[in-house]
Amino acid sequence: MFKSICELLALGRLQILFVENDLNIRERMQRALGQGFLVECVASITEAKSYLDTSVPDILISEVVVGPENGLDLCRYIRSVPALRSLPIILLTSLATLQDKVAGFRAGTDDYVVKPCEAYHLMARIRLLSRIKRLERHVAMI
Amino acid sequence: MSSKSGMKKVLVIDDNPTIVELIKYAVKLQGMYQVIVAYDGEQGLQRVLTEQPDCVIIDVKMPKMDGNQLVRCLRGDAATANIPLIILSAMTREEDQLTGLLSGADEYLTKPFKPAALNDTIERVLRLTPDDRQRRTDDLSQRD
Repeated sequence: MFKSICELLALGRLQILFVENDLNIRERMQRALGQGFLVECVASITEAKSYLDTSVPDILISEVVVGPENGLDLCRYIRSVPALRSLPIILLTSLATLQDKVAGFRAGTDDYVVKPCEAYHLMARIRLLSRIKRLERHVAMI
Repeated sequence: MSSKSGMKKVLVIDDNPTIVELIKYAVKLQGMYQVIVAYDGEQGLQRVLTEQPDCVIIDVKMPKMDGNQLVRCLRGDAATANIPLIILSAMTREEDQLTGLLSGADEYLTKPFKPAALNDTIERVLRLTPDDRQRRTDDLSQRD
């Protein structure tokens, strides 16, 4: 039995882990993305790793500069842990140079979105990446 | 950005030099385009940022950054989000084509290709507007 109508409505929605140390951005994205997804926000890489120890979201979205920590380290960590290796990652960052983007993909991100980015566009990219990953899983099973 | 001669600039990114030459020949047949080249995804990204091409033809299986990653990277930055992008790949499965389109390519062509088909496709993507592209993205992202 479902505990509440909210629990019932949450079924089938993608779960997003959003890693960002800027409180304003976190709150804005929680509101915006929360309209279509189940969003859990954390403010540090350390918190993100703790979360991932117990739960695997459908997609992880992270800034690259997370206070003194680095989102690229989080990407490398995820790709090194067998249980997390296939977790889709989107880097959402204000770093926009060629070197930044190359470093992001080398660290293992699936997508790289430069701020500012309308929540509407980010929601579309989340859905597109989710479909791509489902296709990849489907192909891997053939 | 068009070159000084007024010709549209087409960037070809493929790690196979023979294929690059074939594409260059096919595109130049039309006499309307200046062709520049790159041989892997990272070099391709660099050339997009420095050369601001009018259209990019991208292989999928490439060293360093693959074609789908490159397409997503370009679509993820407002500065490059509306460059016409064509994937030209030897990967012919329906899933491969859908992955390319979901990544943000305007068109997906398979190798071997016919020069006329490639040139028709270039003309077609050059006519796309940002609104056309947004509608396509919305449509693809809302299907399940």
